[in-house]
Amino acid sequence: MTMTMTSAAREKSIKMGEPLLQVRNLKKYFPITSGLIIQRQVGAVKAVDDVSFDVFKGETLGVVGESGCGKSTTGRTVLQLYRPTSGSVVFEGEELTTMSDSDLRSRRQRMQMIFQDPYASLNPRMSVGNIVSEPIRIHKTIENKAEQQEFVEALLQKVGLNPYFVNRYPHEFSGGQRQRIGIARALALNPTFIVADEPISALDVSIQAQVVNLLEELQDELGLTYLFIAHDLSMVRHICDRVAVMYLGKIVEIGPVDEVYDNPLHPYTQALLSAVPLPDPLKERDRQRVILTGDVPSPARPPVGCNFNTRCPVAIQGVCYQEPDPPLIELSPGHWAACHRVV
Amino acid sequence: MRVLMEVKNLVTRFHTQEGIVHAVNDVSYTLNERETLGVVGESGSGKSVHALSIMRLIPMPPGRIENGEVLFQGRDLLKLSAEEIRSVRGAEIAMVFQDPMTSLNPVLTVGTQITEALKLHMGMNDQQADTRAAELLELVGIPDARRRLKSFPHQFSGGMRQRVMIAMALSCNPKLLIADEPTTALDVTIQAQIIELVKRLRDQLGMAMIWISHDLGVVAGLSDTVQVMYGGRIVERGPVVSVFKDTRHPYTLGLLKSLPRHDMRQGGEKLTQIEGSPPDMRITPKGCPFFARCTYRIPGKCDVEMPPLVSGEGADPEHVKACWVDVRTGAPDLAQEGAMAR
Repeated sequence: MTMTMTSAAREKSIKMGEPLLQVRNLKKYFPITSGLIIQRQVGAVKAVDDVSFDVFKGETLGVVGESGCGKSTTGRTVLQLYRPTSGSVVFEGEELTTMSDSDLRSRRQRMQMIFQDPYASLNPRMSVGNIVSEPIRIHKTIENKAEQQEFVEALLQKVGLNPYFVNRYPHEFSGGQRQRIGIARALALNPTFIVADEPISALDVSIQAQVVNLLEELQDELGLTYLFIAHDLSMVRHICDRVAVMYLGKIVEIGPVDEVYDNPLHPYTQALLSAVPLPDPLKERDRQRVILTGDVPSPARPPVGCNFNTRCPVAIQGVCYQEPDPPLIELSPGHWAACHRVV
Repeated sequence: MRVLMEVKNLVTRFHTQEGIVHAVNDVSYTLNERETLGVVGESGSGKSVHALSIMRLIPMPPGRIENGEVLFQGRDLLKLSAEEIRSVRGAEIAMVFQDPMTSLNPVLTVGTQITEALKLHMGMNDQQADTRAAELLELVGIPDARRRLKSFPHQFSGGMRQRVMIAMALSCNPKLLIADEPTTALDVTIQAQIIELVKRLRDQLGMAMIWISHDLGVVAGLSDTVQVMYGGRIVERGPVVSVFKDTRHPYTLGLLKSLPRHDMRQGGEKLTQIEGSPPDMRITPKGCPFFARCTYRIPGKCDVEMPPLVSGEGADPEHVKACWVDVRTGAPDLAQEGAMAR
């Protein structure tokens, strides 16, 4: 496969391009109920709490954070797999949050998802051909059976699988191959936007690079835009153009990857980066780590003041515990952080 | 350095309906006192099964330790009676597992679970055991330890549960701690806490450690010696710096190259990938198990004869690898040939 667009050219087109997706003040609260028969709402898990970002055409935006930070919920709420509590999601100029389910269904052709677990996300009773062609049959994009077959075989080839596999079943494949089947299914409707939710974290190390390379090749060839949700910060630096760091349902820092990794502004981003071990014994020996104390607070009971103040090594007495959560502020072009310290 | 444990020609197989799975194929190595050995490999590489074999925790059937010796302070663990091995497990060799959610009993308090081993192996009474258990929880950084003894596992977070597991493992002052992917289920900031804790405790208590992981980064920061496993065999092994900086096996080299680094600009190049998938462990290849995926392979040689595990040309004598090729030049490794001739 040849590279149709070098990464430099891609960067340029991203800068000039307009947003494919605009997310504004997105909130997704899950109710906590109490009572056996009459269920009263007694609280809410603020899984996504006032998140705003743009995704530009042709770019890869990474979303990183620890489990429970709301990164997966953000991805699903953007696609309207969860209907948001409030906020706006504009995709290709259209507001999705107020759209009816049937209108949404036709928009789903343009936005697809790749799931984390290649074992759970494929129906074990369907053949590979059926799995990949199901979206085509539902959306009736190709009516002719023979053409369908041909298209599916071409798709399998594109994701690096032998087209001869169409009649096999998921259990006959390894994790990496299953993830390729999931990717083929996501591509079946020629989408422009793909949410990839931890697509490599269930795979063996030697297989991860294969899948990442495939995702990059497909992006170059088909001009895809990715929202890449991950906890592997090293892989995110490699694959993403920009990265958003989430903590407790909020974006605490967002910017171009090299900016954020070379010059992290938020103390959480700094701690997160310093916690990732490097495959280099000499560097590991001399590294000074910022070790965060404690655990992430429950998103049902976030702390008063800044969300991060229970673990922050540089929290300011008073301000960080009393003032409301700091807003995102642009500190250098495109690089935003939400911290009282950096203002 | 005194030798703590010697593993000799360990072979473990699983006799399943789909055939015989050759999980561990002729693994031999020596572990010194106070040494930390990092074992790296993918799923199915035999890294966990080899550790379970040492502890005699392989489910039998279908598993069977077919061959080998595990000399722990001179005693062959594989020849001990069920009673005898029980007095070794937990007391002299302790193990921490990957999933802190499932390896604790959900209906017993944490205190009950920690004191169990203390009463069994150390012969303590209830009061002594409680005091010691509280000390242990404090040691692993759980605040308000005495009160927390009465808590149930579900009242702890994932990181805290792993601390409890470590406290349990350390309760009888083991000489060797085997940790099987202990941080894989944890978030990276919690992983950093646990690794820091384990490093401190290891140095404080003077334990030897076998740390099993698929994460080369974790192993790089923690180990004295690294052992890379593939297809149930050791393919490379040596002092940590030598293995990472003077890598000699194509598989290790491939893994290191396929990892992007978060501390470096990426420059838009593609990742170097290892082609193909991990081997089917039901088939024992005649030659090198990595042959099908190797970019350095010599057909007619590598697929016919398994290379011995010896030091490569010009490498640290402690640093051994099983490959016919010298990866620095791509030519056959003369040291390897010489070892075979001898």
